[in-house]
Amino acid sequence: MKKASKVINVSDRAGRESSFTKEVLGPLVGMKLTISRMAQNLTGQISPTISYPEERRRYSDRYRGAHILTARQDGTPRCVACYMCATACPADCIYIEPGQHPDPLIEKFPTRFEIDMLRCVFCGYCVEACPEEAIIMSRQSEICALARDETVWGIERLMRRPELKEFGLGFRPNDKLVDSALAVTPKVKQAEKMAGRITLKENVEMIPHVTFDPSPD
Amino acid sequence: MTKLIINDREIEVRDGAMIIQAAAEAGVEIPHYCYHPDLPVDGNCRMCLVDVEKMPKLTPACATTVAEGMVVRTNNERVKEAVRGVLEFLLVNHPVDCPVCDQAGECRLQDYYMVYGLHTSEIPLEMKVRKRKVIDLGPMVVLDTERCVLCSRCVRFCDHVTGTGELQFFGRGDHVEIGTFEDRPILNPYSGNVVDICPVGALTSRDFRFKCRVWFLHSTDSVCAGCSTGCNVRIDHRDGTIFRVIPRRNVDVNKSWLCDEGRMSFHEVSKGDRVKFPLIKGRDGMQAPAEWSEAVTVAHSGLKEAARKYGPVSVLGLASASATNEALFLFKRYLAEQLGAELLEFRLDSEDTRVLEREDDVLRRLDKHPNAKGALMLGLTSERLGGVEGAISEARAGRIKAAVVTYYGPLVRRDSDELAEAKIAELIDALEYSVVLAAHKAEWQAKANVVLPVTAWTEEEGTYTNYQGRVQAVGKALHAPGDSLPAWSIFAALLEAAGDKSIWLSAADVLSTIAQAAPEFANLDLNAVKWPGSVAG
Repeated sequence: MKKASKVINVSDRAGRESSFTKEVLGPLVGMKLTISRMAQNLTGQISPTISYPEERRRYSDRYRGAHILTARQDGTPRCVACYMCATACPADCIYIEPGQHPDPLIEKFPTRFEIDMLRCVFCGYCVEACPEEAIIMSRQSEICALARDETVWGIERLMRRPELKEFGLGFRPNDKLVDSALAVTPKVKQAEKMAGRITLKENVEMIPHVTFDPSPD
Repeated sequence: MTKLIINDREIEVRDGAMIIQAAAEAGVEIPHYCYHPDLPVDGNCRMCLVDVEKMPKLTPACATTVAEGMVVRTNNERVKEAVRGVLEFLLVNHPVDCPVCDQAGECRLQDYYMVYGLHTSEIPLEMKVRKRKVIDLGPMVVLDTERCVLCSRCVRFCDHVTGTGELQFFGRGDHVEIGTFEDRPILNPYSGNVVDICPVGALTSRDFRFKCRVWFLHSTDSVCAGCSTGCNVRIDHRDGTIFRVIPRRNVDVNKSWLCDEGRMSFHEVSKGDRVKFPLIKGRDGMQAPAEWSEAVTVAHSGLKEAARKYGPVSVLGLASASATNEALFLFKRYLAEQLGAELLEFRLDSEDTRVLEREDDVLRRLDKHPNAKGALMLGLTSERLGGVEGAISEARAGRIKAAVVTYYGPLVRRDSDELAEAKIAELIDALEYSVVLAAHKAEWQAKANVVLPVTAWTEEEGTYTNYQGRVQAVGKALHAPGDSLPAWSIFAALLEAAGDKSIWLSAADVLSTIAQAAPEFANLDLNAVKWPGSVAG
């Protein structure tokens, strides 16, 4: 008879198959993960919230935070005031004044280099445009000031960055040219260097101005 | 005329033209470094190689004369391959220091690399032959021997145009350098041109050095106001500051050249204090700033009063050879028609004879005013006065009581400038009523009854007539400071105050009136004024 009939009565079947296990334990088993997470949260074992600013998240190595002007080994800026960053900047927030460098192999250097951090949109175009790896970005996201003019950062402010001990380096297309060991946590002893400035790795031959020593004749 | 085929296009050029010129006329660009239309052909850079049918080898387009029925190809694979190879060789020892090079952005090496090169350099930077950099070659030029492609344009310029021959090649092979003997400065008065003609960054301007990257600049076509030659120039400016003035090619006037004084003359405009607002002398004898409408009314009624009291013969109009044709024309119209003045003069220092006298064999002329010829053609000279000295003695004798004085400071300085200014001071001293139009402040203006601020060169549109009688358009690159107005519009306002019904909205309006009204400018071609200029009269 059952086989001949094409009608299946669902409620009949549900009534026949219902039981305590299926009605109550089933959903509980299904929500095992949710419930266990809830329990962990309630007891404080895991938490999506961190106690900022005592605790901080580690941002990506490509994070585009406050800019850094990198230095040559003698501590002067590597920037040659070529205006590529200012040309690429969509926010028009970079102001440069060039000067004549006494060394004819460097020739040009910035006497003023200012970034208006309030205008900056942190797009990183300046970093990509820079032919000398002279401007890179850090993972520093907190740019606070008590006065508006403090938000315009000059050469000194962009180069000497003790706070980078805490934040580390961010977006920099060419790792090799800037000491990437500094990008890790402050516990690494290398990081001490960073208190003063970013130092260069040895393989800087790629940039003609830095290592080339013309024959004296 | 010779007929030839370039890239499947039949064109006709004058006999004896080079292929590169024929191609340029046909709109086909052939890359080149050493060829320059105003210098002798050298054919050393080999960038302009083209394929001529029935010639076994590629031939330089700059040194091959066109022939009847010649078939030239500039874009086949053979040519492209050759040009790419030439460019690779030229770049072998190039330092690639574009970030610090002022030529970047208008460099032929950059341009041609992007079109014809795009190769990977086989020579690492540390293997390149290094040469001397940042060599001081006098007040105009900085030399970088590393960037040089040895095209010899600058050498040929100094040999053939100025005839001074300062520059030469030194050394052999890949150590060849351009330079002067013992690095002596290039002191000829046209030295700035070697910077313009250098297709790469080897010779750069000392004045423009590191001032601005070229891609930020806006350009305005104009005419140099440094002397009566009227060289065509391009004013490069940004955010209200002029950064450089470079020549524009005009074969009939200045070819591709410009003298150093003219090149630097734009600095004079920004020197010193400007008259920013109209000034009217009050009862206390002190000048106070005023609105334009008030100043124009006061100036007109003062002049009208003097003309009524002492007769129109007592009113003098002293024009300036640095004013535009438009200003001079309306100046004459206002004084002659509205005040009836007969004494119109512009000569401070025998400009009428000096306008044609050469200072040297290249460009410069003794008369350091851009528009003395225009003033002469508009008849702004008075035989009775014979110059400003005559006006001074007439004024001293009490026969001239009032005057409209227009004065612009000269942009190219000479020792006689102070004398000319002293003469104007003397004249104003002797007058009862004077209206002064000036751009820059000067002590002698304190005695004037009305001082009206005018725009200087680079701040107004208009035309100058050069020594040939060629009317050429001047462009407006900057906004004028304060309330200053172009001189033509001040005279237009005075004419309106006097009851003249004509309306001029722009300098071009005035120029078309000049073409109709002034017989000396009857055959003026208004379309040619922008370039290459129209010879009138």
